[in-house]
Amino acid sequence: MSEAIQYFQFVLAPQMLIGLVLGVAVILVALGLTIIFGLLDVINMSHGEFYALGAFIAFALSSVGLPFWLLLILVPLVMLPVGYLVERGLIQRVFHSGDRHVRTLLLTFGLGLLLEDAFRLVFGPNPHRPETPITGGVEAFGIFVPSYRLFLIVVGAAIIAAVAFVVYRTRLGAMVRAAAFDRDMAASLGVPVQHVYAGAFAFGVALAGLAGVLLAPIYSIFPTMGRDFILMAFTVVIVGGMGSIAGAVVAGLLLTQIQAIVSLYISPVWSDPIVFGIMVVMLMVRPQGLFGRLGHG
Amino acid sequence: MVDALTRSMRASHVLVAILVAASLAVAAFGVATNDTFYLRLATEALIFAGLALSVDILLGYTGLLSLGQALYFGLGAYLSALVLMVIPSFWAAFAATAVVAALAGLIGGFIVNRVRGVYFALITFGMAQVAAKIVYNTRALGASDGLIGVPVININLGIASVSSASPAGFFLFVLALIVILYALSAYLLDTPFGRLLIALRANEARIPFLGYRTMTPRLVAYVLAAMVAALSGALYPMLRGFVSPELFFFATSGNAVITVVTGGAGTLVGALYGSVLLTVLKSVIGSYTEHHLIVIGLLFMGAVIFLPKGLMGSVRPLIERMLAREPKQ
Repeated sequence: MSEAIQYFQFVLAPQMLIGLVLGVAVILVALGLTIIFGLLDVINMSHGEFYALGAFIAFALSSVGLPFWLLLILVPLVMLPVGYLVERGLIQRVFHSGDRHVRTLLLTFGLGLLLEDAFRLVFGPNPHRPETPITGGVEAFGIFVPSYRLFLIVVGAAIIAAVAFVVYRTRLGAMVRAAAFDRDMAASLGVPVQHVYAGAFAFGVALAGLAGVLLAPIYSIFPTMGRDFILMAFTVVIVGGMGSIAGAVVAGLLLTQIQAIVSLYISPVWSDPIVFGIMVVMLMVRPQGLFGRLGHG
Repeated sequence: MVDALTRSMRASHVLVAILVAASLAVAAFGVATNDTFYLRLATEALIFAGLALSVDILLGYTGLLSLGQALYFGLGAYLSALVLMVIPSFWAAFAATAVVAALAGLIGGFIVNRVRGVYFALITFGMAQVAAKIVYNTRALGASDGLIGVPVININLGIASVSSASPAGFFLFVLALIVILYALSAYLLDTPFGRLLIALRANEARIPFLGYRTMTPRLVAYVLAAMVAALSGALYPMLRGFVSPELFFFATSGNAVITVVTGGAGTLVGALYGSVLLTVLKSVIGSYTEHHLIVIGLLFMGAVIFLPKGLMGSVRPLIERMLAREPKQ
C-alpha cells in the first residue's frame, strides 16, 4: 500500500502536475483561437506567432528594466491594438469573399511566416530564457511544486474564469454571442458588429500574448516557439469543439493529462502522435467536437 | 466548338509548352556552362511543382484545401528510397510508389472525406502530423536522421538510359515526368469527371439531384492527388541521395499551398510556374539575406489579398482570348 502511495507521490503526481501546467498554458492559447473561430469563422494560423509576439515584447521591455508584474498588464494592452489593426486591415479585406475559410486561413498563414522570420531577424535564432519571477517552491503532501508553476495554474484559472464570465455574463459578451449567432440580426439590433469582430480578434490575440508572457520563464523564448505550441492548441480547440469555451477547457485538461500519462508509460516521443491521432479520430466521428460551437445562425 | 473550360485548359497547355521551352533552354545553357548547382535546383523546383500540382487538383477543382499533402510526398520519397536501396531500379521504385500511394490515398480518402470545408483542412493537417511524428520516431526509418545512402541509378528508358547523377539528363527526365503527370491530370479533369468536381465545388447539395454520387468523385480526386504527390516525392531521393522526415513536415505542405495560391489555383499550370517562381525567389533573396521568409510571407499575403486568382489565373485569360480568336481567321 505504501508503495502505491510512494509511486503516486514521486512518479505519477509530478507528471500529472507538469501536465496540468501545460494544460493551463494550452487553454490560454486555445481560448483566443476558439473565440476567433466561434465568432469570425476564421482559422487564425498566425495565432502561435501572436503568442510568440507577446513573449518577445515582454522580453524587449524587460531588458529596458520593466518588472514582470507590470508586463503582465502592459503586454496584453499592447497586443490589443495590434490585433484590432490586423483584423481591420488584413482579415476584413478577404472576409467577405466567397471562400472565407480558405482565404483567411491562407492570409493568416502568410502573416505567421512573416512574423516568425521577423522575430528571427530582430532577436536572433537562439532561445532566450527570462528569469523566473517567483523562485522557490512549495511542498504539499510530500510533493514539491515550484512556486511559479503554482502561480501559473492559479493565474491561468483566474483568467479562464474571467474570460468565461465576460463572454457569458456581461452585456459585452452577449453582444459577442449575438454577433456569432446571427450577424445581420445583431447588427439590426444595434450591435456594432464590425467593432465586435475586430474587438474579439484583438481580445483573442491579447490572450495569446498574455500566455506568451506567462509561459516564457518555463518554456523559453525563441522564434518558432509558436509553431510547436499552436499544434497542441489547435488539437484542443478541435477536440473541445471550435468556438466552445467550455470545450477548450475540458479538452485542454484532458489532452495534456493524456500526454503526460503517455509520456510516463509509453514514451515521451509517442505522446504527440497519440494526441494528434485523437484529433483525427475526433474529426472523423464528431467534427463539431465535444461541445459543439457557439451557435451560428 | 469548345466550351470555356476546355479553352482554359488549352490555354494552360500553351503556358506549359512555354515553360517546357524555357526549361529546354535552361538545360542547354546548363550543359554549355557545365553547371551542376542550378540544374539540380531546377530539378528540385520541378519535383516540388509535382507536389503543388497535387494540391491544386484538390484546391482548384474540388475546392478542398489540403494542409497535409506532404504525407503522400514523404511516403513516396521514403518508399522510393527504401526500394532503391534494395533494388536500384527506377521502374521498381516508381511502380511500388504508385501502388502503395493508390492504396494509402484510398484509405486516407475514406478518412478525410467524412468532413468538409475547414474541417477537411484540419483533418489532412492532423493526419500528416501523425505520419510525420511516427516517421520521426521510428528507428527503422532512420528516425530524425532520415535515410542516407540512396544509390545513384541508371534509368533504363528502352532506347537510352539516364543516370540520376547527370544534372542535365536527370533534369530533362524529371521535366518529362512532371509534364506527363500534368498532362494526365489535365486530361482527367477535362473529362465529364472533371466537370463533376467543379460542380461539387460550386454546390455539393445539388449533385445528388442531378443523379451523381458525391463520394466517388471526391475519393477519385483525392487518390489522384495522392498519387501525383507520391510519384513526385519518389523522384526526390534519386536527386538528393537521401530522405529526411522534414519531407513529411507541415512546412512542406505549407510551401506547396503557397506555391499553388501564388501561381494560381485551379489552373494546374500555376503550380509549375509557382514552384519555379518560389525557387528563384528563395535562391535570389537567399543570396542577399537568410530571411527570405519575410519576403515570401509578404508576397503570399499580397497574392491572397490582391491577386486571388494567382499569377497564372491572371495571365491565362489573355491566352484564352488569343485561342478564341484563332478559328475565325
